[in-house]
Amino acid sequence: MTVERQLADAFTPPSRLTRWFAGWGRAYHVTLDHAGALGVLTWQILVSIVRFRVRYRDVLTQTYVMGIQSLPIVFVTASLAGIVTSQQGGYQIVSTSPRYLLGTLVVQSVVLELGPLLTAIVLVGRIGARITAELGTMAVSEQIDAFKSLGRDPVAMLGAPRVIAGIITMPLLVGFADVIGIAAAMVAANLDGGLGFETFLYGARLFWHNWDLFYGFSKAVVFGFVIPLISVHMGLRTSGGAEGVGLTTTNAVMFMILTLLIMDAMFPPLMLQ
Amino acid sequence: MITYRAVHKAFDKPVLRGVTMTVETGEMFALFGPSGTGKSVLLKTTIGLVVPDRGDVEVDGVSMYHGPKRALDAVRRKTGYVFQYAALFDSLNVFDNVAMGIPEDELARLSKRDTARRVWDVLENVNLDPHEVLSKTPSELSGGMKKRVGIARAIVGRPEILLWDEPTTGLDPINTAAIERLIHRLSEELKVTSVLVTHDVEGGLQMCGRVAMLEGGFLRFVGTPSEFRSCSDPVVRAFVDRRAAEAALDAMVETR
Repeated sequence: MTVERQLADAFTPPSRLTRWFAGWGRAYHVTLDHAGALGVLTWQILVSIVRFRVRYRDVLTQTYVMGIQSLPIVFVTASLAGIVTSQQGGYQIVSTSPRYLLGTLVVQSVVLELGPLLTAIVLVGRIGARITAELGTMAVSEQIDAFKSLGRDPVAMLGAPRVIAGIITMPLLVGFADVIGIAAAMVAANLDGGLGFETFLYGARLFWHNWDLFYGFSKAVVFGFVIPLISVHMGLRTSGGAEGVGLTTTNAVMFMILTLLIMDAMFPPLMLQ
Repeated sequence: MITYRAVHKAFDKPVLRGVTMTVETGEMFALFGPSGTGKSVLLKTTIGLVVPDRGDVEVDGVSMYHGPKRALDAVRRKTGYVFQYAALFDSLNVFDNVAMGIPEDELARLSKRDTARRVWDVLENVNLDPHEVLSKTPSELSGGMKKRVGIARAIVGRPEILLWDEPTTGLDPINTAAIERLIHRLSEELKVTSVLVTHDVEGGLQMCGRVAMLEGGFLRFVGTPSEFRSCSDPVVRAFVDRRAAEAALDAMVETR
């Protein structure tokens, strides 16, 4: 076959129907591939924990990186979220409902939704992207292969400590975000609309259920597991040099945010019925 | 002894198409071939870093892919692998990088003093000054030093097999010669079975007892260095002789 013919064949676009089926096939294949690989990774992490192959020191280091170092950004995000919720809530209810309901609105919003979700999204950017890029760079520079060649398990040494640290850290960060968000909202309501702290707290207590706190922390634990799991999964399967690391990190961030939003949508029917 | 039996591997397209060859115990064996022809892939199948689609690799008579589950761990334990760009762990200093080469259970048994002694000795053995490099991170080392630390990490576990994946790539001629001497000396001193993947044909021919050439996923040649030098196959000749290489290149351009 001549070079011209080969080139002509290579550049003839497939039909629309073929592309449509190919697109669905690819999406189906990619979804199953990731789901299967995430399942295997979860199992490997569990096995490494049960067999005490995870180093305590690595978990502490990761807990420090994910927890302590994330406090400033979580502080800023939570206080701004609290202030905005308070201002917008105040604007909505000022002429229609008792003002103490602002306390109810803010506390419910922060504990049930804003605290866990915003903290998780902040962690996707600060921790998830970092883990993917770090492990991705290790993968393309053969450091992951080096671990294997030395008889070390990269999942036990690199993956498990990050996932354990995520599960430990996330509820603590969410608790911190809840307190800061509510406090900032209370101050904003006071400065903005003159709502006293006691009135605000009266409204907060009026519709409070302890279950709500459990609900918020359940989300935190799930998100704390999912973020490092997806980052580790994407990082370890990176290929294609520096460009591959960039592409995988972008994909990992999108993957994590989509997964968080889908899981967030699954919580109310499962736990608030 | 390492035996590759009809090893097949494809990524987007076939890379290895049924490679069969044997590396004898204690032998120093070189593997040549054009870029992208699967030399490193074949080397990686030896310790399961790449799993063949078909075929098998046997190390000392034990099948890696159709044998006992623990075969892979056992082979990794007695093998040192020197990576093309050293693959040192960025977050660890030289001491910790080298100490990682000691098998996990042995490391747990060794006292801190014995571990330090062993790392110190092995760094001296690869002509590095432990005083100078021990606390440095890989980013603070030159290319040649990184390679030496990579070699130190590969031999600190006292392996029986050494796999060298293009250890002189990216080095200047003086460092290349120094690393080649080191490879030769270590292979003789440690009495290990060595498989060397390299583009430096002259270096490989001088150091190794037998050589092989991969081309297009097939084994094109296996024999002694003198047989390789006198081989009449034009593809092999292109590797020995610069003029033959240019003639082969001209022929390829004309065909297109």
